Amino acid sequence: MPDLRLAAIAAHRFGLGPRPGDLRAIAGDPRAWVKAQLGPPAQLPPQIAVLPPAEDDLLAFGRWLTRRRMNNGNGARVEERAERQGITREQLQRLSVEEDFVENFRARATRAVGARVEAAIASERPVHERLVHFWSNHFTVSTAKPVAIALPPSFERDAIRPHVGGRFAEMLLASSKHPGMIVYLDNWLSIGPNSEAAQNPRRGRRSPGGGRPTGLNENLAREILELHTLGVNGGYTQADVQALASIITGWTYARPRLRDLVSDDVANRNGHQLFEFDAAAHEPGPQTLLGRTYAQTGIAQGEAALADLARHPSTARFLATKLCRHYIADEPPSAAVARVERAFMQSDGDLRATMDALVDSPEAWETPLAKFKRPEEYAITLLRAANLRTLPPGAGIAALTAMGQRPYSAPGPDGWSDIAESWLTADLVWKRLEFAQAYAARIARADVNPADLGTACLGPLFSEESRMAVMRAESPAQGLALLFGAPEMQRR
Amino acid sequence: MLHRRHLLAGAAGAAALSFPVFAFGQGQATDKRLLVIILRGGLDGLSAMPAIGDPQYAPLRGRLAIERSNALVLDDTFALHPNLQTMHALYRVGELLPVHACATGYRERSHFDAQNVLETGAARPFARTEGWLNKALGALPRSRPEMGMALSAQAPLILRGDTEVSTWSPSTLPDVDTDTMSRLLALYQASDPALAAALNSALSANTVAMDAGISDMNAAGPRNLTPVAQIAARFLKEPNGPIAAVMDASGWDTHANQGLEQGPLARGLAGLDSGLDAFKTEMGPAWVNTAVLIVTEFGRTAAPNGAGGTDHGAGAAAFLAGGGVNGGRILADWPGLSRSALHEGRDLRPTTDLRSVFKGVLADHLRVSSTALDRDAFPDSSEILATRDLFRG
Repeated sequence: MPDLRLAAIAAHRFGLGPRPGDLRAIAGDPRAWVKAQLGPPAQLPPQIAVLPPAEDDLLAFGRWLTRRRMNNGNGARVEERAERQGITREQLQRLSVEEDFVENFRARATRAVGARVEAAIASERPVHERLVHFWSNHFTVSTAKPVAIALPPSFERDAIRPHVGGRFAEMLLASSKHPGMIVYLDNWLSIGPNSEAAQNPRRGRRSPGGGRPTGLNENLAREILELHTLGVNGGYTQADVQALASIITGWTYARPRLRDLVSDDVANRNGHQLFEFDAAAHEPGPQTLLGRTYAQTGIAQGEAALADLARHPSTARFLATKLCRHYIADEPPSAAVARVERAFMQSDGDLRATMDALVDSPEAWETPLAKFKRPEEYAITLLRAANLRTLPPGAGIAALTAMGQRPYSAPGPDGWSDIAESWLTADLVWKRLEFAQAYAARIARADVNPADLGTACLGPLFSEESRMAVMRAESPAQGLALLFGAPEMQRR
Repeated sequence: MLHRRHLLAGAAGAAALSFPVFAFGQGQATDKRLLVIILRGGLDGLSAMPAIGDPQYAPLRGRLAIERSNALVLDDTFALHPNLQTMHALYRVGELLPVHACATGYRERSHFDAQNVLETGAARPFARTEGWLNKALGALPRSRPEMGMALSAQAPLILRGDTEVSTWSPSTLPDVDTDTMSRLLALYQASDPALAAALNSALSANTVAMDAGISDMNAAGPRNLTPVAQIAARFLKEPNGPIAAVMDASGWDTHANQGLEQGPLARGLAGLDSGLDAFKTEMGPAWVNTAVLIVTEFGRTAAPNGAGGTDHGAGAAAFLAGGGVNGGRILADWPGLSRSALHEGRDLRPTTDLRSVFKGVLADHLRVSSTALDRDAFPDSSEILATRDLFRG
């Protein structure tokens, strides 16, 4: 029997909010509708597929770095290098023009944010898209750190998307090897204290300032343990952080050559690998992590360590808790967490099986509206409710920024907060209501009945109080604004 | 932005027109107020507070050395940047205490990590998720609904934690219709207490902000702190308003062509100085009970780089201003600028731990207990003692 209430829970809690008509289609079997979208993706959403490749981002990033070096008093060194490579002064000069880069990064970022939001608005697989957002936030790479400014969109596309609904171990590996993560969490600046590069500094690569890294940088290793796998209480020590940092020394990305940076010839990019293992920077010798010794040499050492971290019981518990917090409640019900944790362990980190267990948990369907939607999700809900497929003017990036969640710009490596306390602030509620009103005014039409739109979007979750408020509105625009501001539109 | 005329015409009602009366009745509420201004990006302390009397200053700074004749002289060794005129006037009446060669415990050079340490009060980055000011406010008697106020959409890390704080920031979004807001408030009051509380708080804040009569909030920005500083003062003056407020000022990361008496850094300092002036004016008689703490995450390299700027460094300058501040002197254990005195041969060596200053402000201005300081606000820092003579009397 069709169940509109479960359909509304499915559409809001697991998806990104329904478009008109969706609830009836989902109502036949809401659980099956969710589950059909949990597997690996067939293809990229078209909005994402047309974004430039990561190689292109790395070129832009490389140009920016070189400019910084030139403007930071290291111009002479860059010029020497250019001369050796037969690059003219004029060609080099193009790199030192700041405005081009600012413009370039702004345009890139705007395009990528727009693509992410439009892919979500138009998606026929909103449950899957939500999972992309979840995992992309779990493995945060953010423009808030300026050196990583070019990289979060390609990181999400190349390291996260292919593995959503796949195996966690593969997503962890893809994340740890992507230039976005390697730059964001400084692993490109890390060298083994006893490595060849440390013994003979001239062989080492330069850091962004122009100097050479001199030792371990623990940043990525620490966050892999604390944020990506075991969790902060997952039972590791500072010695484990150092061991993992040593294990992944040399995990870096292939720097474009100066010749590529000054050239417009796209063919120069061919053959660039994104990830590179720099054997000279790798700390030699076995390392002991969580009581287990990794005697492998080279990159195999890191691959083995990450594979073990991915299947560690602490990882299962940490991920299960985080998933249940995201989908069910800020204080996730322990029975659901236990079920999801077990599914993760029993399937050896199969993310589809893990999510199946979450969707099968009765708790996931019991308390509607327990979660407060984050601003991006809230904006997407409103846009889908009105059946838009592209971002209307005024509802774009500036509005998301004002509401406190410009995509790809999470404040720290722990990503956007997933609890109401962070988002239910006076100013952020005010900003989202400003957005809701402006957007309502833009799309209001005489033939759109706000109360009908509310029923189509919320089904039985549309409260009597909200319906009355919407029906008593003095104009369609006000009715829509009240609908968009109603508690059940902001919660799931 | 909510316009006052809308608000007065609207049905938001008198209840929303000021901070609600709130009496927990536990202990005496302090009449002291604190504004923290965080200069994000790393202020160049040797530009803001040049050590004109240090023999190494002119040779080391080269093209970025400010002439004694152009600087606002403080004492034999130190001066202020010519654009810090309000600060200079405050110094002369004993209400400004400049702090030099200061830093947190962090000695690396990442903005990201350094701001984290500055705001959490911890010894290393990402060691905790709460801010020291939030924890300190939490140790005071809870005398109002929101003890702190962030002049930003989300509370900055320094204000994050269990203690209730409110948020307000200028809006770039279109004006709202007050009738719609009051209908939503009624709906929330009937069905969603958490949303009702947030909207009520936002309506109060916007009323105060509008009442301030700040004509051109659109002009607010990194180089113009005045509108937001005035509103901060309005919040702090409200009878049931916050005890402490925090505002951010960005744009201090001067890697290239920072300029001397003119240029981007000079404009930034002028904006900071007039912001402080506007804040003091707006506080009026309450200035005697007010302290302003101006801090940054780290200083910059002592010598200019090849691009006419300075890179991320260590020892920084900070400022404490206020009617009760024991100022008119410099708080610094000056390490000197000779090459051997510099930290790692490049940065002003930090000799004053900022946490001592923070603790001193919290202890002697807001009367936060030393237990709360060492246990909640700055855990594992009991060996770092509060500076005890920051305030008169």
